Amino acid sequence: MKDVVISRLGELVEGLAKKDEQKKAWEDFLVEFAEVCGKSDLKEKLKAPISNLLDRISEKELSDGIELLHEKLDNFPTVDVYKAIIEALGKKNDEYLVKIAELRDVLSELSTPIIHLWQDVLLAPVIGTLDSQRAQNMAEKLLENIADTRAKVVIVDVTGVSMIDTIVGEFLIEMFSAVKLLGSDVILTGIKPEIAHTLVKLGIDFNMVIIKRDLESALKYTIGKFSKGTEKKQSNTKRGDIDEN
Amino acid sequence: MKTKFTMVVPTIKLYDYLIVPIQIELDDLTIEKLQMQLLNEISEKKIRGIILDVSMVDVIDSYISFVLSETAAMAKAMGCHTVICKIQPQVALTLAQMGIKLKDVFTANSLEGAVDILNRLD
Amino acid sequence: MDDKNFNDIDININDYDIVLKIKDENDIAVSRQMAKSFAQKNNFSLADVTKIATAVSELSRNIYRYAKEGYIYIKKKETEPDKDVSIEIIAYDRGPGIENVEQAVAGGYTTSERSLGLGLSGIRRLIDSFYIKSEVGKGTVVMAEKRRRRF
Ligand SMILES: Nc1ncnc2c1ncn2[C@@H]1O[C@H](COP(=O)(O)OP(=O)(O)O)[C@@H](O)[C@H]1O
Ligand SMILES: [Mg+2]
Repeated sequence: MKDVVISRLGELVEGLAKKDEQKKAWEDFLVEFAEVCGKSDLKEKLKAPISNLLDRISEKELSDGIELLHEKLDNFPTVDVYKAIIEALGKKNDEYLVKIAELRDVLSELSTPIIHLWQDVLLAPVIGTLDSQRAQNMAEKLLENIADTRAKVVIVDVTGVSMIDTIVGEFLIEMFSAVKLLGSDVILTGIKPEIAHTLVKLGIDFNMVIIKRDLESALKYTIGKFSKGTEKKQSNTKRGDIDEN
Repeated sequence: MKTKFTMVVPTIKLYDYLIVPIQIELDDLTIEKLQMQLLNEISEKKIRGIILDVSMVDVIDSYISFVLSETAAMAKAMGCHTVICKIQPQVALTLAQMGIKLKDVFTANSLEGAVDILNRLD
Repeated sequence: MDDKNFNDIDININDYDIVLKIKDENDIAVSRQMAKSFAQKNNFSLADVTKIATAVSELSRNIYRYAKEGYIYIKKKETEPDKDVSIEIIAYDRGPGIENVEQAVAGGYTTSERSLGLGLSGIRRLIDSFYIKSEVGKGTVVMAEKRRRRF
């Protein structure tokens, strides 16, 4: 078999493909095939060559090609080859699934943006369904942001969330107390009744978070707080000035 | 001024505040010594506010938390407030997840923020 | 060193990447530093590195404080090379054991004078799976596993 394949290599390749690229792909495959055919555990040994071939030609081209080889070569191990193809396709499918999961993570990352509203204020709008993975990623990202920007206030807006389960509720509460440990204030806005219910059931400490109805009142509150802070600073400086004179 | 206690962390006095940048590994013995040092400094140097900068501390477990809170409570009894500043974000997350509260301390995310808090407590 | 045997738990020390004897106060800090760099080397997120190091710190302190001495074992687990990676931590001692394990794990309970009683309950929250076995007069084994998260 091996010798037959090698001696007819040129002819077989011509029959299998038209374009040079594909011809090369088939040639590589046939050489690898010739190497392993007749050996025991053929299916296992064919997996890698088949998988390589699949990277370079389409599934249709592959099945047409295998049909041709089946006709042209006596004793072509069609069954083993197809078994190897099925497994290689299964593996490719798994890889796609992993890719899709990764993409979903990237998307969820994008959908938990953290917006630096101004100097001392960060806004974290939460959109869509929060699962524990996303909640943890968000918590980590938010805390790093606070540490980097030294924001004094973080507004977490959950208007876009209709429900949370207990686990996610716990993550949120932990995130709030972590924010407090960093020395920043948390304002929570846009809570729907279901979420309020979950948070209260989990024993959220309302001394820890300031609740505002919507983003607008959160912003008003923040601005009010800061302007008071500045006033106080100014009066401090005045006192200092008098002392110096 | 002669100090009778072991200094485990060099401190900086600013007005009547004491800035304590912790740049060493807080093993159990060290944190005990640090507690002694701080309480002594409060009384000797007439400190009214302590600022613990923990930005270099990468693990704070339940015992370290306990000693920090305990120190703050003792300081409070001596008329001195404690602010812990610049807790690493991942340390804050870990403490929060463990359900550990830093009792009797204020927190700030910068030195200026810590000074602000102490000023406001006057 | 012999293999450690604790009723139904067999610990084959050859399986572990890190084996630490805890008998000194100093060993607590050493163990958490080792755990930290091990988790870092295995590409855990910064937050998870900290959680692992903190859990090990709690476990070593419990050994030192309540059992006087014992061991910390740490290893990396994976289903395929670099797939579904997790870190397993075992704390093992032949100390006095815990009378009421449920109470000790629930949190807020401590037999120590200066302590929060939030070590074991905290570890449980920090990691993904947790197992404890303790027998009065025999000793205590805690197993904790943290999976590496995908980003
Ligand atoms: N290895 C151990 N051996 C014996 N008792 C232990 C051990 N670990 C924990 N305990 C018991 O469980 C209690 C709770 O432990 P933990 O949650 O770590 O809190 P803490 O150490 O602050 O008391 C301890 O007070 C102690 O009585
Ligand atoms: Mg403990």
